[in-house]
Amino acid sequence: MSNHVTGNDAAYKLRIARQLTVSYRVGRWFRGLWSLNLLLGVISLSTVTFLWEFAAPLGIPGLKNVPAPTTVIAAATDLLVAPQYWTGWGLSFQRIVTGFIVAQMIGIPLGLIMAMHRFSFGTIFPIIEILRPIPPVAWIPISIVFWPAREQSVIFIVFLGAFWIVLLNTIGGASQIDRKYKRAALSLGSTPRDLFWKIILPATMPSIITGMAVGMGISWEMVVAAEMIAGNTGLGYLLWQSFEIGAIAQVIVCMISIGIAGYFSSALIRTLGGFATPWRRLH
Amino acid sequence: MTLTPTPAIAPQPIGPRGSIGDRARALLTNPRIHQGVFGIGVFFLAWFLLIDLFAVWRFGGLPKLVEAVREWVSLKPIFGVSLFTAEYYKHIEASIFRVFTAFSLATLSGITIGILMGWRRIFFALTFPILEVLRPIPILAYIPLAIILLPGRETPIIGLTFLAAFFVTILNTLLGVQSIDKVYYRAAQSLGFSQWQTLWHVIVPGALPYIFVGLQIAMGACWFSLVAAEILSGSAGLGYKVWETYYYVQFPTMVIAMATLGFLGYVSSALVRIVGNRLMRWREQILSGI
Amino acid sequence: MAETGQLSIRNAGKIYDPDGIHVVALQRVSLEVKANEFCVVVGPSGCGKTTLLNAIAGFDQLTDGQISMDGALLASPGKKLLPGPDRMVVFQQGALFPWKTVMWNVTCGPLKQERMAPAEAAEKGRELLARVGLHDIEDSYPEGLSGGQKRRVEIIRALMNDPKILLFDEPFRALDALTKSVVQEHLLELFDFAPKTVFFITHDLEEAIFLADRVAVMTTRPGTIKKVIAVDIPRPRDYRVLTSGRFLEIKAELGEAIHEEAKKAFEAGERELA
Repeated sequence: MSNHVTGNDAAYKLRIARQLTVSYRVGRWFRGLWSLNLLLGVISLSTVTFLWEFAAPLGIPGLKNVPAPTTVIAAATDLLVAPQYWTGWGLSFQRIVTGFIVAQMIGIPLGLIMAMHRFSFGTIFPIIEILRPIPPVAWIPISIVFWPAREQSVIFIVFLGAFWIVLLNTIGGASQIDRKYKRAALSLGSTPRDLFWKIILPATMPSIITGMAVGMGISWEMVVAAEMIAGNTGLGYLLWQSFEIGAIAQVIVCMISIGIAGYFSSALIRTLGGFATPWRRLH
Repeated sequence: MTLTPTPAIAPQPIGPRGSIGDRARALLTNPRIHQGVFGIGVFFLAWFLLIDLFAVWRFGGLPKLVEAVREWVSLKPIFGVSLFTAEYYKHIEASIFRVFTAFSLATLSGITIGILMGWRRIFFALTFPILEVLRPIPILAYIPLAIILLPGRETPIIGLTFLAAFFVTILNTLLGVQSIDKVYYRAAQSLGFSQWQTLWHVIVPGALPYIFVGLQIAMGACWFSLVAAEILSGSAGLGYKVWETYYYVQFPTMVIAMATLGFLGYVSSALVRIVGNRLMRWREQILSGI
Repeated sequence: MAETGQLSIRNAGKIYDPDGIHVVALQRVSLEVKANEFCVVVGPSGCGKTTLLNAIAGFDQLTDGQISMDGALLASPGKKLLPGPDRMVVFQQGALFPWKTVMWNVTCGPLKQERMAPAEAAEKGRELLARVGLHDIEDSYPEGLSGGQKRRVEIIRALMNDPKILLFDEPFRALDALTKSVVQEHLLELFDFAPKTVFFITHDLEEAIFLADRVAVMTTRPGTIKKVIAVDIPRPRDYRVLTSGRFLEIKAELGEAIHEEAKKAFEAGERELA
């Protein structure tokens, strides 16, 4: 964007020149880095960690029964070399991916159909609204009875959790497409096929991506729940096991691991989603 | 901003409401009602055919519809839980009490903290990092800590349920505050509002739509964590009952417990939504314009 | 009405520095607005007129120059100016609180500053609303009103605070032409009845001449005042003024100046700075 500086004013020119000097720019970058926000964040996290570490001598009730950060780090170093930790990771991850993908494969088409087709919406939506409030965890016994292997029972619960989210987000996104886009497409001579692939699907994409990111977070909740209650392998199971044998520091390591995993998988979805919707990256 | 009606949501009829007879007739002839009844009917029919009558494949091992319904309405149920037994209501009460306590606490503290975070940058800078560290950890992973830190049997369950709702509420409240158009702050400045007046008359009402969306999600999160927590460490409550009936192979009762959970979950979310609509009466005028 | 609200802008300058891109929004803007005068600043999008209004209102600070009111210095680079009810703003996109009723919106200013009793404020609110043709809407919510109604309510809200100067930021931009002309007539009636100093910005030349006592043309970025003309068409004015001889003369005189700026702005592909 060009700037029409028409004045011959010396003062203006001087001010501009000053702002282009290296020292000014370095100073600004530096000040940005050490912004108040960052400083306060560091302060608050350090304070919390400090209080946690020295909870016992400080006599903070409750917190002193929790292993201190140093103990947790020690446990972490032990755990990180144990094979069952990494196999647990792998298994939990596998379950999530399977359940999640199946949820998308059923949920997205179903959601699109329901949004475009009034009859299917009218018949299917009420039954969805009846089944959805039942917490997926409550489905665990049925899942165990129905599926021959524990693995499939756990995946089913992951599927359920993600399914509701992706369905609602897809329906929501597809039904809010501004009519003018569809009309523009039709007046330009597009077939129903074109309409679907070039208008409806891309316009629904942002909602689908949001549904995926949220669904991914939910999936981690579900897999942990299912593994703790009904599993015999995986990170969730490891967490519960550690609790039952009293290795609390290990419990905390598992908690943090799952948290990190969940955070990164959601972030990954969002990034990949950004590639699927390039028109939004101007934000 | 014009609002175009979405095909998936039927516009509400505007205009004077007719007599009871008129409204009943309108209800009976509404195609959406027909479709809904049809869909639900198909579901129950499929349940009956697949599981009760023909016991197809693996469906045979699942709870039977007829047995479940019969159990639910019988005066002397085989497994001791029906509409007419005290035990049913004991479990319902236990679960409702926990959800109610946890939800109220989470609402109060979550909204307060969320608003403070949106209002004061210093508060945000101090609290956001801690929040972002704690939030990705699945709620159920907190169970061991809850059991260690909180005394007794009830408190860990309530604490866990509280935590789930707490994070969701804070997040949505924060989003709500951030979503308020800056022009309203400028108007308040011009009008000479004090900080407190801005908070009470601009920030809180402005964030309310997002807050209530968050509260509905939080309610769902409450029921989810409650069931899991009850299974893992409870002795009463609907979630516990679901597990117990699985253990003792009392399938009809399991269905009763699950259905009750679903019903309570739906009703509680609807209650939140209704309260929200009453508090945000100004939005009626947009909706009735469709 | 006391003869207050004289506004003096001298050598105002504003430099933005977003992300190191140096932007001169205003450059040596000088303008004198007499008490109770209706002054309109006209210019193409992005010329800086909103920046100038924000500086007077107190939402933004000048980097150069001064703003004084009634002889007292309000703002300069060393003196920060805060927004207040003495310089009420009517915003472009509408800032009526959607979650409050019309009556609350209109009376909140005087009530919050404790300048009036509730009954008195309600009475005055009703009176002013009736004056612009709004009856029986005091319990409605803003979203239920039409565009023209909302603008009028917002104007009344501003007036209720008895400001020294009223600032209008392209308030009728979103209205259709017919509604716009009716609302403009209401506005003029209001000020014929109770004059106030008005600082009004717009991109619409006809609107400017129709409403103003004086019209100032602002150049495209960096904005400065190019030309000021007194509009000596007698008041009260109605829509017939738009086709009168004097109106067309003034329009011709200003039209060339503003068209030149519009072309420059178009070629530079300017977008309105917030």
